[in-house]
Amino acid sequence: MSFTKYLLPVLIGVCLTSFAYGQLKFEQTELELHPSVADANAVAHFKYENTGSKPIHIASVQTSCGCTVATLKSNDVAPGDKGEITATLNIGNRTGTQTKTVTVNTDDPAHAQTVLVLRAVIPTLLEVQPIFVFWKQDEEMKPKVITVKAGKDSPVTKIAVTSSDPDIAAKVGPGDGAKEWKISVVPKEKAKLHNATLTITPDNPSNPPKIFYATARVINPGGDR
Amino acid sequence: MRRFLLRQVLLLLALAFVPAIGEALYFRNRISWQSPVPDSQLVTVAKAKGWGTGALWVDARPDEQFAQEHFPGALLLNEDHFNQQLPNVLAAWSPDKKVVVYCSTKECGASRAIAERLRGEAQLKEVFVLEGGWEALQQAAKK
Repeated sequence: MSFTKYLLPVLIGVCLTSFAYGQLKFEQTELELHPSVADANAVAHFKYENTGSKPIHIASVQTSCGCTVATLKSNDVAPGDKGEITATLNIGNRTGTQTKTVTVNTDDPAHAQTVLVLRAVIPTLLEVQPIFVFWKQDEEMKPKVITVKAGKDSPVTKIAVTSSDPDIAAKVGPGDGAKEWKISVVPKEKAKLHNATLTITPDNPSNPPKIFYATARVINPGGDR
Repeated sequence: MRRFLLRQVLLLLALAFVPAIGEALYFRNRISWQSPVPDSQLVTVAKAKGWGTGALWVDARPDEQFAQEHFPGALLLNEDHFNQQLPNVLAAWSPDKKVVVYCSTKECGASRAIAERLRGEAQLKEVFVLEGGWEALQQAAKK
């Protein structure tokens, strides 16, 4: 049969060639992390083993952004040795699902490059929408509403708001849902240009407490130019 | 003989397609290798510089890189300290300004993420991602 006569020897040859080299085999090349609202970092451990017969040198480990740091204990992996690459994502003020990659380059000609994927599903503490309201100086100063919603598993039960500009008033009221609030913002004076930072402080237990900001401005209708 | 070889090639291609299709399905919603930025939201260095004072430059790189060097007049806004840095950017914005966001290179995703948040959360309309990022700005400066 043609399969056993030609194709099978080719496939066996390819397999034997790969066995002759070292082989860095990862337990998982993709990890999904679910940090808590209090976590500052999301840490992924990519475990590997050299399943080949020759030592492997890990030449470089590069992350897809400055927000992720990848570390490993040793760049040289002897046959049979195990290790791990630790990738740490600084959560900062990131939201939603963050996908970052770690590219591992080795001297193994059969698997010179492996791309590891870290997916961090960052929980929402508070969602502020919009975070910017403005009035043109020549328009009527009607109140504008900023909606604040606590995330699904958020521990926040109430919020407080302060305005950096006494001429822009901000008042918190109940929203449509149980963990929802509406901030009514309105400038007191029409003629003046204003720029207020609204500080939204939730009663979350994280340490340091997470603070949110919104901006309210009265701007020149002609722009800055 | 030629027919036989052709059959072998087709068979090998078909075998290669099996894991390829599996991988494509598995990673379907996991990671995109293509730029998600539509052309209308991208801007070249030459065009953005041409906007002059009508452009508000935003540097989406980490704090340390911004501190080392940045485009003249650019304001720092990255996802590490988005909440704290955003008021400074919004204070400089006006409706006649186009916002130009850049990060390190063509491949970096920080400028896309910041641009998306400025459009979505701050509801700014004219927000553009600089093609090639800081790398392209430096290359343009050498010319």
